[in-house]
Amino acid sequence: MKRHTLLLAVAVAALLPSALRAQQYTGTSGLIHIPSAEMHHEGDALIGGHYLNQHMMPDTGFIYNGKKYNTFDYYLALTPFRWLELSYTCTERIRSMQGDEITKWSKDRYASVKIRPVAEGRYVPAIAIGCNDIGTSAFNPKRTNVQLYFLNAYIAATKHFSFSGNEVGVTLAYRRFYRGYNAKWNGIVGGVTFSPAFFPQGRLMAEYTGNEFLLGMEALLWRHLRLQASVKDFKYLNAGLCLQFNLLGSRYTRDPY
Amino acid sequence: MTQRNIFCRRSCLVALLVVMLASLSPAHVRAQSSAPGLDIFSGLDFNFRDINYSRQYDLLIHLTPGFKWDMGNHWQLVGQVYIPIVNTYGSTYKYVYLNILDVSKQLRLGPVYLKASAGLFSLQRYGVDLKAFLPLTRWLALEGQAGWVGVLTMSPSWYISPLNRFAWNAGGDIYLSRWNAQLRAVAGRYVYQDFGCEVEAMRHFNHTTASLYGRWNNVTGFDGGFRFVAMLPPYHRKHRAVNFRPASNFRISYSIMYQQYTNRMYNTDPEENERDGWFSRDLLQWGSHTMQPDFIESSNTVTE
Repeated sequence: MKRHTLLLAVAVAALLPSALRAQQYTGTSGLIHIPSAEMHHEGDALIGGHYLNQHMMPDTGFIYNGKKYNTFDYYLALTPFRWLELSYTCTERIRSMQGDEITKWSKDRYASVKIRPVAEGRYVPAIAIGCNDIGTSAFNPKRTNVQLYFLNAYIAATKHFSFSGNEVGVTLAYRRFYRGYNAKWNGIVGGVTFSPAFFPQGRLMAEYTGNEFLLGMEALLWRHLRLQASVKDFKYLNAGLCLQFNLLGSRYTRDPY
Repeated sequence: MTQRNIFCRRSCLVALLVVMLASLSPAHVRAQSSAPGLDIFSGLDFNFRDINYSRQYDLLIHLTPGFKWDMGNHWQLVGQVYIPIVNTYGSTYKYVYLNILDVSKQLRLGPVYLKASAGLFSLQRYGVDLKAFLPLTRWLALEGQAGWVGVLTMSPSWYISPLNRFAWNAGGDIYLSRWNAQLRAVAGRYVYQDFGCEVEAMRHFNHTTASLYGRWNNVTGFDGGFRFVAMLPPYHRKHRAVNFRPASNFRISYSIMYQQYTNRMYNTDPEENERDGWFSRDLLQWGSHTMQPDFIESSNTVTE
């Protein structure tokens, strides 16, 4: 009975026209850890959270009692125009304070911006530039006490190919983190996505982050619920979900590539 | 009382006198009349802050019952009570209090749209206030606000100060209809007597508006954040003599630096928000008022 219910739910979801633009842990579009030049639809607003395995975290700042730890983040994201994405993310941190016997949590907050100056054409890939953890302190050398754990900038190109209703996306990006403890993710990164014709709301992903390979899958269910799960080395899990709404009230349709 | 205060007080009184006289002039006949009626509504005022490590967020949520009595010709009497229903901010915020109770008049005086208010405003201020809006083109407008106010608190005990603070700001708006985007820049002296300026970029969607803002003041320096305004359903309404409804909107504003006492101006309307502006849609057709209306009466006439 449960199996039939699940199949029915998937079938109903498959009837809904939609397009996936992935769900990065920042709320902006991308693959798993790497950015892409894909964009959410104009007017899309997302609110969600992501469980982050310690292997997804920077090598400093998220250490407690000498060890990195698993944590989670949550975010708000908005696509005010089809060429602009904005998001605001809070990542939970464990605070180690003198005299405290109880574990206390704080948040690392950062904003992300992504701009797509070149839209995808028949022969031309979409090109986007963006950055995470951007703020005035990023440009202020006097504020050395501000830790910008996720500060990075990138340029990405993405091209989709369709055949028999299936869709393959290829992303290539150059990314640079501005803190040495994230240098392992610097350089050329890239990934491939596959969205099958029988379930266009679902997508499989494989990516190289500059330091490791990640595999993942995601789905958009009932038009508003996004799910994503990924693994590193087939054992370190990351997973997230978010609610998605279009503030323009438009229906989700697949982009005509 | 200093010469400057006397000048400010007299300026406000003169401005109010001009408004009252103008309301009797033929110019005001050009303005459409808003339908008389009494609206009784309630919404939520949602506040949160992240300033300690012992819990994720402090929450302060008020129930905000209020009323609007449209008396015709854009005369309006409004009131609103704040009732805390969730409070982890502390005992200072546990009291029920009257947030707004004032009378206002909107009118058009030549090319200028004016709104004069007198009574109790938000942020525990009372006094008189004048707002002006001057559309120069379909995409460019100037705006200004000035108020002569004092402090009036009712909780935990009564306290009233003389009318001794002059708060004002002025600036301009650019509305890009193609993208339903609006830029707003204002500068002035705010209600807590700080000098500052603010730039805000808004994107209007169907029934919602999201914006980013950056601001500066001479007390705490730079700040920024975002705002979100959602107009609440039902979007189709019947207009009766007495209407019970939810609040027209839910608004939330986020400040990165948690600066709650700078760059602040009081509200004179319990449903005031960045999307709708200060004036009724049937009086001022500019900016987001040129979009599809959020609320439509069953008789196909537009309500504010």
